[in-house]
Amino acid sequence: MGSFSLNYLLRRLLVFFLTVWVAATLIFIIPRLAPGDPIQAMIARMTQFEGYVENADLIIEAWRKRFGLDDPIHVQYLRFLGNTLRLDLGYSMANFPATVYELVGRALPWTIGLVGIATIIFFTVGNLCGALLAWYRTPRWLKVMIPISMTFTSVPPALFSLLLVYIFGFLIKINERPLFPQVGAYARGMTPEFTLEFFSSVLYHGFLPAMSIVLVTFGFWALGMRGMMVTIEGEDYMILAQAKGLKPFYVLYRYMIRNAILPQMTALAVSIGTLINGSVLVEIMFVYNGMGSLIYSGIANQDFGLIQGTSFILIVTSALAVLIIDLTYPLIDPRISLEGR
Amino acid sequence: MAEQKRYDSDRVVLNVDNLRIHYATPQGDVIAVSDISFKLYEGETLGLVGESGCGKSTTAYGILQLVQPPGYIVHGSIEVDGTEVLNLEEEELRKFRWTGLSLIPQGAMNSLNPTMRVKDQIIDVIESHEGKQNDKEALRERIFELFQNVGLPNRIYNMYPHELSGGMKQRVCIAMGVALHPTVVIADEATSALDVVVQRIVAQTLVKVKDEIGVSLIVIGHDMGLLAQIVDRIAVMYAGKMVEIAPVENVYANPLHPYTQLLIDSIPSIKERKPLKITEGITHDPRNPPSGCIFRLRCPFAWEHCAEVEPPPITVENKHDVACHLYDEQFEERRTNALATLANP
Repeated sequence: MGSFSLNYLLRRLLVFFLTVWVAATLIFIIPRLAPGDPIQAMIARMTQFEGYVENADLIIEAWRKRFGLDDPIHVQYLRFLGNTLRLDLGYSMANFPATVYELVGRALPWTIGLVGIATIIFFTVGNLCGALLAWYRTPRWLKVMIPISMTFTSVPPALFSLLLVYIFGFLIKINERPLFPQVGAYARGMTPEFTLEFFSSVLYHGFLPAMSIVLVTFGFWALGMRGMMVTIEGEDYMILAQAKGLKPFYVLYRYMIRNAILPQMTALAVSIGTLINGSVLVEIMFVYNGMGSLIYSGIANQDFGLIQGTSFILIVTSALAVLIIDLTYPLIDPRISLEGR
Repeated sequence: MAEQKRYDSDRVVLNVDNLRIHYATPQGDVIAVSDISFKLYEGETLGLVGESGCGKSTTAYGILQLVQPPGYIVHGSIEVDGTEVLNLEEEELRKFRWTGLSLIPQGAMNSLNPTMRVKDQIIDVIESHEGKQNDKEALRERIFELFQNVGLPNRIYNMYPHELSGGMKQRVCIAMGVALHPTVVIADEATSALDVVVQRIVAQTLVKVKDEIGVSLIVIGHDMGLLAQIVDRIAVMYAGKMVEIAPVENVYANPLHPYTQLLIDSIPSIKERKPLKITEGITHDPRNPPSGCIFRLRCPFAWEHCAEVEPPPITVENKHDVACHLYDEQFEERRTNALATLANP
């Protein structure tokens, strides 16, 4: 395969850091544009639960000081950037004294696992379906089945989760127990540990959330792939491949899929951000303890620190995923390797 | 250019008989190749010429069983060394390809897979037909030898197509085309995409390799000047019909069919300026060809008989056929008059 130049690497890294910086700045600004004061909101909530809060004014003042909300905005901004660089994302105001770093550290692996596995599945299945749709030797029944299965594409993932929970977590029962669990990332009462039992429980619980992402997404990739395959079929080297008397299956993967997959990889890099955002709602539907649920609780509690921290980590994760795809691209497309004057 | 070997074998390696290819369109079938028959002799180079759209490439792709939809073969027979190509089952055809008939494609710029190294594209054709090659060193030597035959340096072995020039890509295609020593190689406008200097070198390489390996070659092109230098016989096509097939000297010195005469007359001369005669007359609708002779609407010598009867190929001498009523014994007088007008316009 090809290789990439230092120049290419540097340019990609620059884009990565630029993305992260812009993201950090936006994350700093946006919550501050929203009406309401988080500390006051918290006191109000406390009042709701526990009646009168003594010395509320003093508490508010002390906490504002503690979280640095009284400082001028630019001081807050610089402190925020500095802390972010050290990955010190501060405290979660609603879960004080838990730090955002701790909360994110607990939630992120679940989201990466869910979205990662779902991405691998829908990208593989979608591209395979698209390739088979365009291939002349595909059985006719398959060519009819695939477009029918793609009708889910127009359904929002969160709505689709509801449907899946209803059918597989409620309607279909075996021995009085639903086929798949309705909520959670692993069986209740289990503690995360590296055992086969825990691992299988995670897979079992992750099946429906992953499926609701996969089923609404793969059709998009199948259509893109089919379009690319049709274009490739008209290329001169396809006629030569046929004339050479190569085995049909070899031509399919080495000549057609190999070339058609390249634009699909680019599209994947572009869509990773959307994907992670889409998974947020799915996680909430399944009470899956990933980043989605964390963001949701942050927004519900007007928890500045948590919103900033989770959004920032999500953006860094997507930017990192894009960076990885960008850096592997020259390895799969030899024509890119020499680029980067 | 070195003195060219003349081939005079009478062993037929490719026999195309009554081949007809249509393209289906909503307004009716376009007749791309209309009942053509010809023979290719062992070791011979045959040039296939004609205007754009006359069916020369379609004929080649028909022989190779590569006519792309909406095109289809209506009827005919294509025999390569006694094997009827049209009767082969799918897997038999796959195995027959490249060992019986190989192709040097038009527009070599895009004929190589951009994501495969040059060596892998040659290896895959060898391994598809001869099975997995375990002796990697021998395989390497074999490919180096192919490179040497077509004048390519060994360093391109590990390169990708985008790292090669147009001429080099075309040479890779030639090397690939002869890798399995096929019976017949078809070069479809193999030099059209190159500039004139490289064109000539590549064409010479093609003939040199053909001689060394001893295959028969069909060269499709519209550059009459280039073809004259490399082929043994020329077949002239007009609107899906083969109007004349003759040894190359005869075609240039003594063209018989009126269309061939106009074609030869249209080769630019450095001595005089002359109008392009070939534009005279109208081309018919390929869905509704005229009755009788296909060329009569543009032919300066056509008379009533041409509209009534389709001219059969007439053998005027060895390996020289022409499909024109003028060369029928009974119209000798007309022929004399016609040739006289041609001499003194």
